[in-house]
Amino acid sequence: MVLELEAVSKTYPGGVQALREVSFGVPQGQFLVILGPSGAGKSTLMRCVNRLVEPTAGSVVFEGQRITGRGNLRAIRRQFGMVFQQFNLVKRLSVLTNVMTGRLGYRSVWRSLVYSFPEEDKRIAVECLARVNMEHKAFQRADTLSGGEQQRVAIARALAQHPKVILADEPVASLDPKIARQVLTYLRQVAKELGITVLCNLHQVDYAREFAERVVGMSKGAVVFDGPAAELTEDILHRIYYREEKAA
Amino acid sequence: MAAVIPAQPPGWRLPHIALAAALVAFLLWCADGVNLRPAEVAGALPVIGEYFARMWPPKWEFSEVLWKPAAETLYIALWGNVIALFIGLPLGLCAARNVVRSAALRNAAMAVLNLLRSISELIWAVFFVAAVGLGPFPGALALGVNFGGILGRLYAEALENIDPGPVEALAATGASRLQIIAYAMLPQALPQFVTYNLYWFEVGVRSATVLGMVGAGGIGFELVTTIRLFEWRETGVVLLLILAMVTVIDLASTYIRGRIYGA
Repeated sequence: MVLELEAVSKTYPGGVQALREVSFGVPQGQFLVILGPSGAGKSTLMRCVNRLVEPTAGSVVFEGQRITGRGNLRAIRRQFGMVFQQFNLVKRLSVLTNVMTGRLGYRSVWRSLVYSFPEEDKRIAVECLARVNMEHKAFQRADTLSGGEQQRVAIARALAQHPKVILADEPVASLDPKIARQVLTYLRQVAKELGITVLCNLHQVDYAREFAERVVGMSKGAVVFDGPAAELTEDILHRIYYREEKAA
Repeated sequence: MAAVIPAQPPGWRLPHIALAAALVAFLLWCADGVNLRPAEVAGALPVIGEYFARMWPPKWEFSEVLWKPAAETLYIALWGNVIALFIGLPLGLCAARNVVRSAALRNAAMAVLNLLRSISELIWAVFFVAAVGLGPFPGALALGVNFGGILGRLYAEALENIDPGPVEALAATGASRLQIIAYAMLPQALPQFVTYNLYWFEVGVRSATVLGMVGAGGIGFELVTTIRLFEWRETGVVLLLILAMVTVIDLASTYIRGRIYGA
């Protein structure tokens, strides 16, 4: 297991219980889809892994090391590439610079403050852009790209970190179905080639069936299903999406 | 199920009318305080007109003397802005909620900005003339300090209004706080910074014309001198030159700001 979640819980100040004792392990190289409706706690779960959010209880174990609440934050975070629903590129910077920001976690603060990157970082960035077929747009400003292209650049930025795991938080929720499939195909393909483990939040069942090796179904902060995509029956989907009515 | 018509948002109600009436009453009360006498303004108009009439025809030869102080006014505005940038940027960064987490540091930066801003550049000029002597240098310092307070606050607001998405994305890569500021925050706020500086350069040129009155260099000194000597035709030339300078700079800066947002 490259990643293990042990009874991870998160209650936000104000009392919202986003995660309730979430536990599961992820083997190296798996394409895992976390499926669930909006508000199920999927985003919070990802952010507990790379410590953008600190869990209130439980812990995350990465390569045998407990990383929750201890360890060098920068060293931990650069192991986890992250891809977002809104792409989150810095729009006024070039595509290449955006990808090179994926290298910042490895570089000294003082050199990067004068906007200078080592040759090696440029080489890595171009190589990562090539993996998502975006190297021809390296010198364009990020805001000149379409949504699908921006998300491919965002994937390249995550790859530039040389991560062990990619956390993709609703990566295709802002894209039309054709582009969405294309982006998910790129994500699956580069992860396979490089042996990167992927945790991908989705709320669309179709994509989960099509791309997932394994699905973890979440509802109201708790895991309600864990198994291969083929086992997603109507009954289970009902449990993921309409748990509220069942409980009543 | 019958369609439910949502309730109309309330229109003018008694509290609104009472509030408006109170506001008008307050304005009238203040009018008494400023000794507002509209009738006398009508009577004073011909007097003001007479002053302007005395300025005609402008004594154009005088403009030869004016080039140097006019240029000096521009230098003051320019360097005032540069000083304001160096004062305002670090303080603005420290005052922005999304840049600095420590409330104590933010409040301290805000307090300094408020102090710089609340004392007008004319007062600062009086201090600096006393400190470093007559001439354009105290003028530039005065503009720099006062505008630094204003720009710092505007920079902080521009930073607080950026899209937080890229900030989170860079935090997730393992970038440090300073790297996040340099790569996710400043690039997003930069166009705002540039337009603010251009606008306050315009304001600076207008302000710099006044600073001369307290001995802080520039064309304002000539303006005051001609008025004191009752050389109205020379005053006319000075005013026309100020008008021309401000107009040209307004047009140029409007054009540049348009290009920044248009392109």
